Amino acid sequence: MQPPSPPHHPGERQPWGAITAFLLPALLLYAGFTCYPVLRTWWNSFHKVLPRRPDEFLGLANYEALLLQDDIFWRAVKNTLTWASISPLVEVSLGLLLALALYAKIPGARLFRIAWFTPVLMSYVVVGILWVWIYNFDWGAANAILRAVGLKSLAHAWLGDPKVALPSLVFITSWMWTGFNMVVLLAALHSLPSEVLEAAELDNCGWGRKLVFVIVPLVKPTILNLIVLSFIGKMKIFDLVWITTKGGPLWATETVSTYLYKRAFEWTSFDLGYPSTIATVWFVIVLGSVLLLSWAFRQRQKLEY
Amino acid sequence: MAVVTLEGLSKRYDSGSAQAVDGVTLTVADGEFMVLLGPSGCGKSTTLRMVAGLESITSGALAIDGARMNDVPAKDRDIAMVFQSYALYPHMDVMGNLAFGLRRRAVPKAEIERRVRDVAATLGLADLLARKPYQLSGGQRQRVALGRAIVRDPKVFLFDEPLSNLDAALRVSMRGELIRLHQRLKATMIYVTHDQVEAMTMGSRICIMNRGRVVQIGAPLDVYRRPANTFVAGFLGNPPMNLLPARVAAAQEGLEVGALALPLERAAHLPPGMPVTFGVRAEDVAEVPHPRAAGGGIRLAAEVATVEPLGAETILGLQIQGSERDVMARVGRDSRARRGDRIEAWLDPAAVQLFDAATGDVIPA
Amino acid sequence: MLNLRSLVRAGTILVLCVYTAFAAGPFVWAATLSLRTTSEIALDHFALPGILHWEKFPAAWYGSNYHVYFGNSLFVVLTAVAVVTVAGAMAAHCFARYRFRLNRVVYFAIFSTIIFPPQITILALYQILVQYGLYNSLVGLALVYVAIQLPLTVYILESFFARIPSDLFDAARMDGYSEWEIFWRVSLPIAFPAIATTVILNTILLWNEFLYAVVLITDDNNRTLPLGIQRFMGDQLEDVGMIATGLMIAIVPVILVYAFFSEKLIQGMTAGAVK
Repeated sequence: MQPPSPPHHPGERQPWGAITAFLLPALLLYAGFTCYPVLRTWWNSFHKVLPRRPDEFLGLANYEALLLQDDIFWRAVKNTLTWASISPLVEVSLGLLLALALYAKIPGARLFRIAWFTPVLMSYVVVGILWVWIYNFDWGAANAILRAVGLKSLAHAWLGDPKVALPSLVFITSWMWTGFNMVVLLAALHSLPSEVLEAAELDNCGWGRKLVFVIVPLVKPTILNLIVLSFIGKMKIFDLVWITTKGGPLWATETVSTYLYKRAFEWTSFDLGYPSTIATVWFVIVLGSVLLLSWAFRQRQKLEY
Repeated sequence: MAVVTLEGLSKRYDSGSAQAVDGVTLTVADGEFMVLLGPSGCGKSTTLRMVAGLESITSGALAIDGARMNDVPAKDRDIAMVFQSYALYPHMDVMGNLAFGLRRRAVPKAEIERRVRDVAATLGLADLLARKPYQLSGGQRQRVALGRAIVRDPKVFLFDEPLSNLDAALRVSMRGELIRLHQRLKATMIYVTHDQVEAMTMGSRICIMNRGRVVQIGAPLDVYRRPANTFVAGFLGNPPMNLLPARVAAAQEGLEVGALALPLERAAHLPPGMPVTFGVRAEDVAEVPHPRAAGGGIRLAAEVATVEPLGAETILGLQIQGSERDVMARVGRDSRARRGDRIEAWLDPAAVQLFDAATGDVIPA
Repeated sequence: MLNLRSLVRAGTILVLCVYTAFAAGPFVWAATLSLRTTSEIALDHFALPGILHWEKFPAAWYGSNYHVYFGNSLFVVLTAVAVVTVAGAMAAHCFARYRFRLNRVVYFAIFSTIIFPPQITILALYQILVQYGLYNSLVGLALVYVAIQLPLTVYILESFFARIPSDLFDAARMDGYSEWEIFWRVSLPIAFPAIATTVILNTILLWNEFLYAVVLITDDNNRTLPLGIQRFMGDQLEDVGMIATGLMIAIVPVILVYAFFSEKLIQGMTAGAVK
């Protein structure tokens, strides 16, 4: 996702009036609704922020409490990171397999493509409600299928059992996003020069070898982008959890987003300072891990070419 | 009436970097077809864009009919330009493309319609008015680009390598069309190209540029016959003028080209020992016997090193004893010379040009 | 050999069909539920609808305030998409067309917010909107929506605008058009395919948006559809049939948009991922 370099209009007299006019709306929105809130959140994180009362400076007290004493926060971080590290692998690898199946010229590919893409278009609210029903212990589809195939003992209260609640939610996001990854990878496969694959064909490469030595290396940039994209998406996750479990049972599915929302709007403390501290710390973690991820991927690519 | 005057026109992109255009002085007379010719990167396009108002002028003055234009915006200069890429608006049909420039200029609707149809008719576009650019062939797009300029009826037309995206056959026919267009409109035109055939065939005058500077201005044949320096001599003509390093002979009237002594009266008034460049066009070198050779001239022994039969004529590369470079000779299509043949070559002394080896400038006869 | 091939092929198609059932099944199920009454559903959750209870749709639409939620969503989304398209296109045009100092810096600053987690702005946005009387207001929410979709819009449009040859702009300038007119009469029409992509993409994403809405809207009459559905589910947890009808009301517009513009949507969603 490297931004392209600017076009070259050498020596053109720059109409600064026009440039300002074109940029102004976007910049105002950006300043007012992105920059200012980020700075204000950061500022809040050092304060106790109560409605209708002047903010009280706390220094690093919020940070100390959060980083050293807040077990729920760390639980939420662990849950979110687990989610964000498992999901990309599942989604991208399944997506790649499906894309390869479609690439091998299956009849009705267009229809498949459209059908598989559908789940990403639905809001997490809709998806969440649907899956609350699917996971329902008494009449949900999940248990119904298990019972139908004689695996009655495997039936669970999927979202009620702390042990399986988080994996159940991860499953939902994989259900949603695998199709998306498939479509993207399919586009990447189609943009490959066909000579490369034909050459592999001539070299009498089996499908497995072709996959590992030819296809995967060629679509690797796309795969890495998808991993980062999926990672970022899971680090943000809120809606699905909020609709299905609200972070329960026993914080088993608590994510940083839901915890922050609870601290800000559901706890009776009414303080916005502490949740702002959560936001700031989380912001640093997200930014840091995305940069680390892109850096690591870039290193590996450098080594291989 | 439209006289375009460039007075010391210069362009520098960033302070500190070299001048892209360096003091170009040039007057394009009313109704003249001026060709700016030069290798890529010589500053010809930048010069044209400064005239158009698309690039700012770093220093110097630009005037149209005596009125200073430096700070007049492009749209108020009454100039139309045809771009190399045609720059047709892809979302408009041919009609829309032709009319776009007029809509802005408070021309009444009926008048726009009439002018567009007029121009479309003369350019053979009448049946294509409803088409989008992507539905047109390369030649048709070129015509639309041309029509878009003509319909505006500007004081000055600018062309930025308009034919270089066409295939060879189309280029020849469009060249003819542009010449006829110029004769019909009698407008002032400035035409940028790197193609010397276009320059020679179309230009009333040619302005040759190199490294941001004007090297020579003149009528095509004048420039061809009397290049101002070795750059022009080596740039114009195919093959280019033969240029051989030489020295004014000390003993007798003539030149020493390597170990070879050439009698040449014109060298007499030059200081003996002066290093010069000896230049002669391929068509002024012949294979003896030749009718022109009967009236005297310079005769040399040569060995045929290369033979390029082009159909209408044959180009021989002649290895002349004592010279490192082959001398190209344009001979008749009937030449039976073969590689390795030893022949006698003839040079027309009147056609020889001498250049100062130090500066490259021509030494006047 | 041939037999093995066709066996593998048949197997592949079978797997793909199973996956398709898995991917689309939940929606088909929800669709059947939406046409059945809750008491019918309680008897058998997986039966096909016997009698099609279309009357449930008007019942949900008027009886459960869905017409208000739907209208709110429509207003917020259309306003936000209109503003973000114009503001984003203007900025993208500027980044792509003019070379000026800080061009890349400003572009990258806006672009990089794509990876910001929403938490970093949401609390402060809440405070700011409360402060300026925009809390619990659809206009306030629309403005926030504009801001969150701006980076993606600028990114997609910039990469398209950058491919328009600059000769076109030069030609328009010589034809006497101002920078502003060039934007409206040359850039925008040429970029129509990319604009359409961002419009459709933004519409879907904002139609589904939940987090900002739940923080910034409390009044029932200002709820957007996702909030309305959530409230409805909270109130009528057991009324599966009615909730399903509500879900379908939220899904249908998305399905319609998708049916007409599936290629554009896929293109928009996948922009930036393929390189």
